[in-house]
Amino acid sequence: MDLENNKAQMRKGILEYCILSVLSRNSCYASDIIRELKEAEVIVVEGTLYPLLTRQKNAGLLSYRWEESQQGPPRKYYELTEEGRKYLADLDKSWKELVESVNLIRTR
Amino acid sequence: MDKTININLGGILFQIDEDAFRILRDYLQAINNRFSNSQGGHETIEDIESRIAEIFQSQKGIAGVISKENVESMIAIIGKPEDFDPGETEFGAPVYINQKRKMYRNTDDTIIGGVCSGIAAYLDSDPVLFRILFVLAAAFFGTGFLIYLGLWIALPAARTESQKRAMYGNDNHSNRSLTRNTDSAQITGPTGYNRTSRIGNAINEVFRALGKVCYIILRIFLIMFGVSFVLMGFLFILCYILIFIFKFPGVFSMDSSGVSLIYVFDFLKYIVNPATVPWIIILSSIAFILPMLALIYWGVKMIFWFSARDGVVSLVALVIWVMSIAVLSIIGFNEGISLAETGKTTIKNVLPKSPDTLYVATDHKIADLKYDKQITLPHEEYSVFLNDDKKELYIRPYLSVDRSEDKISRIEVRKRATGRTDPEATAKAEALIYNYKFISDSLKIDEYFTIPAGRKWSADEIGIHLYIPLGTVLKFDEQSRIMVHSHFRDGNEDYLQSNWESGTGNWVMTEDGLEPLRDKFVDKK
Repeated sequence: MDLENNKAQMRKGILEYCILSVLSRNSCYASDIIRELKEAEVIVVEGTLYPLLTRQKNAGLLSYRWEESQQGPPRKYYELTEEGRKYLADLDKSWKELVESVNLIRTR
Repeated sequence: MDKTININLGGILFQIDEDAFRILRDYLQAINNRFSNSQGGHETIEDIESRIAEIFQSQKGIAGVISKENVESMIAIIGKPEDFDPGETEFGAPVYINQKRKMYRNTDDTIIGGVCSGIAAYLDSDPVLFRILFVLAAAFFGTGFLIYLGLWIALPAARTESQKRAMYGNDNHSNRSLTRNTDSAQITGPTGYNRTSRIGNAINEVFRALGKVCYIILRIFLIMFGVSFVLMGFLFILCYILIFIFKFPGVFSMDSSGVSLIYVFDFLKYIVNPATVPWIIILSSIAFILPMLALIYWGVKMIFWFSARDGVVSLVALVIWVMSIAVLSIIGFNEGISLAETGKTTIKNVLPKSPDTLYVATDHKIADLKYDKQITLPHEEYSVFLNDDKKELYIRPYLSVDRSEDKISRIEVRKRATGRTDPEATAKAEALIYNYKFISDSLKIDEYFTIPAGRKWSADEIGIHLYIPLGTVLKFDEQSRIMVHSHFRDGNEDYLQSNWESGTGNWVMTEDGLEPLRDKFVDKK
C-alpha cells in the first residue's frame, strides 16, 4: 500500500469541499483561498487550485468578478452562488455522516 | 552578456533572461499540454498565467529582469503540472504526466530521417554515437543502410509537442534542456533540445554534409525507380489493351516460339463454360490492371515525394483485387475438375513391310487448313487452331521415332484427353480424329488431329510413335520434321539438335537412337 498515494486520494476527495467552505465565510481572491488551504496543509502547490476553481465556476457553484490589483494583473474575486450554498450544505451533511461512520467503526 | 527577451504574460510586459525564458516556455508548454484538452482548460491556463505574472511582479529583481531563479521559485510555488494532482482523471487524460517514453524520429535534429537522434533520445544518449554505428554497419554489405531504411519507415516522426516529450521521456526533458543549455549559450532550433558536445558537433556537421549527399542520391534513385514504375505500369496496361482488346498482332510474344496471346480470350469458350467467359475476362482484367495502376501511383508518389491519405482507397483496391483473384480461382477450380482425369487409348499397327529407306511425309497439312485463329502455348510446341464456323479445333500431334526390337516396323497412335471421370476422358480420347496411311515406302501422316465439332478442348494430345529396325534410313518432309520431338542419341544433344533443325532430313536409326546420316560417314573414316 502506498501511504502517500492514499493520503493524496483523501485530500483530493475533500479539496472541493474545502474550497467551498473557505468561500462560504467570505468572498476572496484565489491567492487567499490558496493561503488558507496551504496553512491547513490540504494542498502543496498552487497549480492544484486553478482547474478546480474553473470547474466549480463552470458548474455554477461559484461566480467571480474582476478586481484591479496594485501589483500585477487584475484578479478574480470569487464568491459562492446560491446553488453553491445549497451544494455546500449537502456536502456539510455528508461530511458529518462520513465522520460519524468512520468514528463508529474506529471506536467499536 | 546574456540576452534578454521581452514577453507578455497576463497582459504585463516582462524582460526575461534567455535561459530563464526557456524554462518558462517549457513549463507553460507543459501546463498547456496538461489542460488544453480538458473542459475549461483555457480558462485555467489563463488563470495560471496571470498568477505567474503576479508572482513575477512581486519578486522582480533590481534590474527588473526575470532570472532563472525567479522562474524556478515561481515553479516551486505553483508546482509542476504532474504535481497538481497525480490522481486526476476527471479533467481528461493527462497529456504530460506519467507518459511512457516512446521511440520517435527526431525531426528537430535530422541528417537523413532523424532516426539516430530519435534512438539517442530514447536511450538518453548522444546521436553521434548512433550515426557512427550506422555508417560502420552500412560498410557490412549495406546492413546499416537497410536497418536505417526499415527504422525510417517504422518509426513515426515526433511532430507535436507531446510526441516530442514522449520521445525524451517523462520530465527528463525540461530538466535536461535546463542543465545543458545553461552551460552552452547555443540555440539549436525552435525547441532547442541540444545535448551534444563540441567534438560531437563537429562530427555531426560532417554527418550533416554526408547526409545531404545521401539524401540527394536517395532522391535520385527514388525518382529513377518512380519513373520506371510509371513507365512500366503504362506499358503493361497498353500492352494488355493492345493484345486482348484490339488483338494487335505481334505486340507481345513470350519467346522465340512465337506464342501469341491475342486469341486467349477467344479460345476460352472452347475450354470453359461459355457463360463464364465474360466474367473471366472482366476479372482477369481487374486482376491485371489494378496492380499496374498501383505501380503507376507508387511511381508518381516516389517521383514527387508526397504522402497522401490513400489508406482507404488502397484498402478498397486491395480487397477488390483479392476478390477478383479469389473468384477467378473458384472458376478455375470448377472448370479444372472437368480436366481432372486423364484417359488414354492406343492404336497399334504393324507396317506391311520394313523398307531400307522410309519416307515420312505429311498428307493433310496445317498450311492448307482453314482456320481463324491460332493459339500457341508457351514452352511447348503445342498449337491449337480454331475454326469458329465449324466449331472445330485442330492440334498438331508429336512424332517420336524409336528403334524396333526386331526387324518389323510398327506405328502406335497414342491418344490422350482429360475429363471429369476416367471413362469420360477415355471416350474423349477415342473420339479424336486422326488419319495416316502407308503407301509403298512412304508413311503419310496428317499434320494435325481434329477435336470433333462442338466438343471443348480438354488438353487433348496425340503422339505418333514409330518403331523402326536398326539401320533404317529416314527421310522427313518439312512438316513432319517439325513434328518430331527430340529423341536423339544420348549425349551431344545440342549438336544433334542443331543438325536436326538445319538438317537435310536424312537420318539413320542406330543403337542409341536417331542420328544424322552424314554423321555416320564421318564416324566410319
